[in-house]
Order: sequence, then structure tokens, then C-alpha cells
Amino acid sequence: MIAGLARPGTSPLHRTAAGTKLAALAIAATTLFFVDDSRLLAVAGAVALALARSTGASFAEIGRDLKGPALVLAVLGLADWWLVDGATALVVVLRLGAIALLAHAVTATTTTAELSEVLERLFAPAERLGLLDAARAALTVTLAMRFVPLIAEEAREIREAQAARGLQGSVLALAVPLLVKVLVRAQDLADAIDARGFPPDRPTSDTEPKTNLRPGSP
Amino acid sequence: MSDMSPESAGSAPGSGDAGLSQTIVFSDVSVVRDGRAALDRVSIGFEEPRIGIVGLNGSGKSTLLKCIVGLVAPTTGTVGVDGRDAVREARAVRRTTGLLFQNPDNQIVMPIVAEDLAFGLKNHGFSKAEIADGVAAGLDRLGIAGLAGRRIHELSGGEKQLVALAGVLAISPKTVLFDEPTAHLDLKNRNRLRDVLHALPEQAIVVSHDLDLLADFPRVVMIEAGRVVRDGSAAEVLANYREASR
Amino acid sequence: MTTRDISHVALMAAVIVALGLVPAIPLAAGVPITLQSMGVMLAGLVLGPKRGAAAVLVVVALVALGLPVLSGGRGGLGVFVGPTAGFLLGWILAAFVAGFLAQVLEATEKSTLVRTVQLTAAAIVGGIVVLYACGILWLAFFVKLGLAKAFMVSIVFVPGDVAKAIAAALITVKVRQAVAIERK
Repeated sequence: MIAGLARPGTSPLHRTAAGTKLAALAIAATTLFFVDDSRLLAVAGAVALALARSTGASFAEIGRDLKGPALVLAVLGLADWWLVDGATALVVVLRLGAIALLAHAVTATTTTAELSEVLERLFAPAERLGLLDAARAALTVTLAMRFVPLIAEEAREIREAQAARGLQGSVLALAVPLLVKVLVRAQDLADAIDARGFPPDRPTSDTEPKTNLRPGSP
Repeated sequence: MSDMSPESAGSAPGSGDAGLSQTIVFSDVSVVRDGRAALDRVSIGFEEPRIGIVGLNGSGKSTLLKCIVGLVAPTTGTVGVDGRDAVREARAVRRTTGLLFQNPDNQIVMPIVAEDLAFGLKNHGFSKAEIADGVAAGLDRLGIAGLAGRRIHELSGGEKQLVALAGVLAISPKTVLFDEPTAHLDLKNRNRLRDVLHALPEQAIVVSHDLDLLADFPRVVMIEAGRVVRDGSAAEVLANYREASR
Repeated sequence: MTTRDISHVALMAAVIVALGLVPAIPLAAGVPITLQSMGVMLAGLVLGPKRGAAAVLVVVALVALGLPVLSGGRGGLGVFVGPTAGFLLGWILAAFVAGFLAQVLEATEKSTLVRTVQLTAAAIVGGIVVLYACGILWLAFFVKLGLAKAFMVSIVFVPGDVAKAIAAALITVKVRQAVAIERK
């Protein structure tokens, strides 16, 4: 679960800076929005497909990765065709398809670490304004990544235990014990984080409370 | 990083290597929550290299440990670690006093082993180079260098406990507090931890239901309903505890 | 944000992701549904508006970082430039509103039944009304369906989401009976 969608490789896109790719994607997506000519969109789609292929992914791999979005696209295309008209449906499908392929090209060639760095740079001004604490935000995101496999497994174990007792599919019987376990864990985890010295001292004076201390607090 | 202790280079286990222990003092400490006293006027000092703490569940043992590193603030009284107040100078105390929790899953914070060891070092302001060295040395020390790049969720319970301990030891504390360290371990890993504990040069205060773990400790303290009721050698206190729990 | 807030937010985000990994299960009526959007309601109902919204924000960040955390293994930037982006970002507001209403309604002591009904209402207003408003607006614009038609297309999912809202309320009541937790 911590493995991102990026694929290893050495294509030109792999070697392009993450920030550049993201900016380019945003600009391309916005521009395509204002294009209503289905021929132009078809060309854009072909270019997008070529870019997606340039990352080293085969047609089959691209198809597999975009199965979900393709389904959504098909449904929306049909909805448009039925509720509006065929021409609109075509334009929408081509546009969304082109954008999905461009996004795929970027995602496949940009690692989570690179994207993290971009996010960090994006949030730096907010931090300087005191709106955001980068260390806390980063820890929160990393903690979530760290615990997903564990909680997913605990969910599976609860379901198996239920099935063994012949009670399938009760949402409450899954979610209640899962959440209770999570909430109890949250308290211990916070203690462990504090005990290990988090957060690191900032260069300027730090007046935020570092711990969750109340008299006799658990 | 001058305190990075070598693999018990000639020092007998728990011999109280110069510098690897602290004096911990509870002065009339009470911790009251919801009208109930988790600790009741506890006054006690710890300076031995090994101290065991026993007591029934809910007796206040964990609260005692948490007070030492300022995770719990006493309602009355003070806790001092080498003269520093555990609450007001919590950061400094946590630099020299580690705490190993019962469940390693609640203590490991990063998805990858090496990153988790680095977490503690980063928090205490070590430089990048020191962090790299500290991580390597920390893993080496417990014989788990091979786990450096592994994902936490792929590890066994015993491996996770060792990783958690490595994380605590990586910052070279003088004292390590153990809160029921073998509670979640199978026999093989329990023995492994016992061996690690035996060879640890740092001062150790160990809360445990596993009485054999504490059998050769110079001092064991028994807690009941938030009070220290017995305090003496392992032999006498453990015998007493066994008798009382019959 | 205190350390305790960090741990609650991070773990709830992990729960939302984990619920997306559980295969669709049948509810009482035998209708199979995926649970991730219920996780969003739970984030607000259990943790409160700010922490609940923060938990969803963490999930959105994970999607942005290219991780396949949305049910069906979806993730990456494609989601932000696709038709469902309104629903994804709307989740943040949904958790906030659900949590806010839960907090406001909790102010006075009530019987379990009344509390359950109120939490269901909070989940519906946040997790359906507000969420669908965001999702439908984006969809109408993006897919050029126009508001009325985008509405018609999306409405089909509402009954399932109402069932999830009721479940979320019941779960929240039971969880809070077991663990004391403040809403922030």
C-alpha cells in the first residue's frame, strides 16, 4: 500500500522535474477544457497516448491502469449521449480521455518522494505565514501511510472471525471494533511520539505546547 | 554522539557504567484522574542499574513510568530525573530517558525501519551524518542491520519489538524504561529480549508480569493501588508477589 | 495541533483508506456497497469537524502523492483532473459539516435513539447534501451535462449513501460508548 503508482524507468518524462510535469499537466488540462472541437481533441488524445507510451508502459498496462476511469468515462459518455446529444458526448469523452492519459503519464514517471517535495515547496509560504506546521503535517501523512497496511489487515481479521462465526457482512460488527481499536491506539501512539522527542526544535523560539499535558492526563 | 556505547565492551550487564544511569526521584507524587488516584503519595528514588516493578493490572505501574518522562503530569508532587523536572524539562529528560511501550505497533511511526530509527534522532537535533551513523549503529547493536530497508508491516512481532528498542537506543539514552516488554512476544522472542536486556549497559527500569525476567535484578518494587507496598531484593519481593497473587 | 490530534487524524485517514480496501459488502437489504464514503462520515462524526476534515485532507494528500488509496485502487493526479474530483474534494467539506452538526447536536444529554437519529441527520447533511452539491457542480461543469442532468445521474447513489449514513450513526454511538473522545 505504500507503493505508489509510479513505475521505474529512464524515459524523458522520468527525467523531467516533478514540478514541471505537474505545472504542465495543470495547464494542459485547463486548456483542453476550452477546446470544443472534437478533431482537435482527438489529436490531443493521440499526443497524450503517445506520451503515456513514452514512459515505457505497454498498451495493455495503460489499459489496466485506466480501467476504473475508463468505466466512469463510458458511463458519463452514455449519459451525455442520451441526455444531451452525441456530439457533446464525443467531445466530453475525448477531452476526459486525453486528460486521463496525460495524468497517467505524469503519475507513472513521478515517485511519491518527488511529489512530497513538490508539496513541501507548495506549502512553504503557508508555513512562513504560520498557517501550517510542516513537521506535524508531514508526520500525519507518513503515519497514515504507515498504518494503512496494519489497519487493513486488522479489518480483514475481524471479517474472517465474523465469517467463522457465521455472521457475514455486518458493517457494525466490522467498523465498531476496528474504530475502538484505532482510538485506543491513538492515545498510546501519541504518547510514543511525545516520548521520542517530537517535534524537533525549530530554529526560532517555539511557543507551541509540545505535549498534551493536563494534570493527571492519561 | 560521544555517548554511543560500544557493544558492552567489557562492562558487566547492568554494572552501572559511569554515565549510563540517572537518579530518578519521586517526591510525594499523586496522580488523580476522575476522582481515582492512579498514584497515591509516592515517594521513592531509583538509581540502581536494574529496577523491576511488579503489580496487578491497574495498580499504577504504567503511570509511574509515564511520569518519569513527563507524559503524565503529577496532580501533586514532583518527579526529578538527574535534577531535572520531568514535566517542565520534559524534552531534556526524554533525550536521556527512553521508553519502550508494550505494543511495538503503537510505537513505530515510520513505514520503513531505517526511517523509524532516524525519527528519534531527527527529533533531538542530530545532524544528517550523525543520523546516518546512528541508524546503522542502532541496528547493528541489536543484530538487525539486515532489516534496515524493510517495511514495518512485513516484520514479525519479535522483529518489530527489536526495531522499537533500536529506535529508543539510537539516541544513546542513559536510562531505558520498559513497559511490559514481553507481553506481546512468543517464547523465542521473549528469550531474545531477555538476552538483550541482560547485556544492556544502560540503566533499565522494567515493569513486567514476566517475573523470571526480573529474577536477577538488584531491586524490585511492588505497587498496589497506586502505592509502593514492597521494596527490596528481587528474591524477597518476587516471592511475596507470587504469594500474594495465589 | 497536539500530538494526540496528529495520531487521531492519521489513524482515521488510515481507516478511510482501509475501508476502501475491504471488498463491497452487502448491507441489510442485500445491496452491496463500498465503505469508503462511510469512512468519511465517520471521520466527522467521531473526531469532530476540524480533525475529521483533516483526516480526509490527509487521504486527499495521499491521492495527490500518487498512492492507490481510493476504492478500486484509484489514485494519482488523474483523479484531480477527472469527473469525480468534485466528490473527492467535497469529502473534506462533508466531514467538516457532519462533524460540526454532530458537535452542535451533542450539546445536551439525550437518549440513544434520539442521538442516533441526530447523528444520522448530521451524516446525511454532510455526507450527502453537501457532498453531492460539490460533486454535482463539478460534474455538471466538467462533463457539460448541466446541473439538472448531472443531478439525475448522481441521484442513483443516494439510497446506498443513506444506508451508510444510518450505519455511520449507529457505529458512532457504539464507539463513543466504548471510548471517551472529544469532538474537535
